[in-house]
Amino acid sequence: MSSFWLTVYVLIWPVIATGVFLTLCVSLVIDIKAAKKSGKSLV
Amino acid sequence: MFQFSTTSALLILLGFYGITFLFTLQIGQRQENADSYMVSSGSVGYSMSAASMTATWIWAASFYAAASSGYKYGLSGAIHYGLWGALMILFIYPFGRRFRKLAPDAHTLAEIMHARHGSASQMMLAGSNVVGSIISLMVNFTAAGALVSILSPLTFVQGVMIAGVGVLSYTFWSGFRSSVFTDFGQLIAMVVAAVIIIPVIFFKLGGPELFEVGMVNLTPEQASFYSPTAILEQGAPFFVAVLAYAIGNQTIAQRLFAVREDLIKPSFITATIGYGSIVIGLGMLGLLALLAGVEPIDGDLNNLIPQMAATYLSPVMVGLLFVMIIGSLSSTADSDLSALSSIIMADVYGKQISKNRPNPTTMVWVGRLTMVTATLLGVVFASLKLDILSMLIFVGALWGAIVFPVIASLYWNRVTNQAFTVSVIVAFVMFIIARFQLFEIVGFTALAFEVLATIGAAVVIGLMSFGFFGQRAGLVIGGIFGIALSFYSIGFLRDYIVLLSSLTAYGASALICTVLTLLSKQPPFEFKTIDEKVVEFHSEQPQSMENL
Repeated sequence: MSSFWLTVYVLIWPVIATGVFLTLCVSLVIDIKAAKKSGKSLV
Repeated sequence: MFQFSTTSALLILLGFYGITFLFTLQIGQRQENADSYMVSSGSVGYSMSAASMTATWIWAASFYAAASSGYKYGLSGAIHYGLWGALMILFIYPFGRRFRKLAPDAHTLAEIMHARHGSASQMMLAGSNVVGSIISLMVNFTAAGALVSILSPLTFVQGVMIAGVGVLSYTFWSGFRSSVFTDFGQLIAMVVAAVIIIPVIFFKLGGPELFEVGMVNLTPEQASFYSPTAILEQGAPFFVAVLAYAIGNQTIAQRLFAVREDLIKPSFITATIGYGSIVIGLGMLGLLALLAGVEPIDGDLNNLIPQMAATYLSPVMVGLLFVMIIGSLSSTADSDLSALSSIIMADVYGKQISKNRPNPTTMVWVGRLTMVTATLLGVVFASLKLDILSMLIFVGALWGAIVFPVIASLYWNRVTNQAFTVSVIVAFVMFIIARFQLFEIVGFTALAFEVLATIGAAVVIGLMSFGFFGQRAGLVIGGIFGIALSFYSIGFLRDYIVLLSSLTAYGASALICTVLTLLSKQPPFEFKTIDEKVVEFHSEQPQSMENL
């Protein structure tokens, strides 16, 4: 396997983790708004 | 190699636990509710649930063991740790939905088993979780001690003590709610650290050029994505172990009972991707160390990540890694404390001591005292400094004996209490015999264990297929897999004792449970009574519970 693909193999995981990070942060904002609206605690 | 001063290390640790504690004050209530202390409201949203699942599934061992696997097995090493761990989160959700459907108000899986079979099965599940969670606490505190001692002048025992007191301080009052609430922040710290640290170390080591100059450090097997050694020594035993962990462990069940029912699937899919990306990514540090020719300090692979960080990262980055690992071990340790407290509250105090008539205030304090006791035990046992990866496989295999009987009991109405109990006990004994080679595994004995292990492998694949595609697919795929595997496993698995023993637990429990069930003349069980029986436990104290 070439160095390029091995580099992709090593660095793809932080990229995916960034996607999860953004998803969770956006969802948290939505959940906080919903919790405030309903007057319920997040947990 | 870089080390923090004692003051800096203490400031980071006190800062981390102090901020976490302050966060939990946001949700603390003067009079905590016993149900909330165990499973929150049962309607936790997507972001908190997904983050909590991910953070709980990632423990300190995930980093150390993934990097060890990457270092030991080369290109495929991190995959054989992280991918299987991630897939097991995915695997659990179809069964999780079934658990919730049968008993929406349950607090523990053991509680459901009590409703299905009675006290013996309940106490088996509860007992195994007590042992498993204390081992997990020990492993996480051990990781804290090792990290602190390698990155600062503080001693191993001091690191263990600080982690124990720190985790207890913010989990003690609000229990599971604190655990879930803090998991979000801890996960974010882990993600940020992983996203920054992995590329930084990669480029510090030379970037893509590292592959051109470093591949000579790899053996042909390490340089292959299809290394049989990596599969047989790491991937397969870990796959089997984490499957059992996913089903048997209360920390996971607790989150299944806490998340809003319609959000189980998206939460678990997100956790699968989150866990996989973080853990495989950090496992790559082991591969990078191998390529760069790094030798682990004292030959201990657990030192690899702290050593890589201390050698190649700036002090700020090392601080980030420090927080990441402390966050990972704390999020799992607080989950273990919450799991232990809910088991002692619901299954021991609620069912066995108070005989279904618990005093709600006493119940919460039983949970809190459980946390204190468990922390003390975890700290004391941590001083034994046991190998993390071996412990992980042992704990998983312990639950391996339970997986089939639990799942079968909640889908097959003919499974009896006797079938459950006998199969779990015999399977666990068989596991112990094989794992510790109490008899010499040769000749007919080896053959018998290989047959059981082959059945166990078929059960694992069959259960996974059953969860996603239904009964017929489970039986067909599991059957075909078992028959095909037998051509390779007989005469071969005896050389891989860890894998053999883990699969034996599955095979023996499935075989005995199935045979005893088929021989039983008892009338079929009515599944709808589970919900009635679990609710009955609470409804006997309606006024008290309202006053919580």
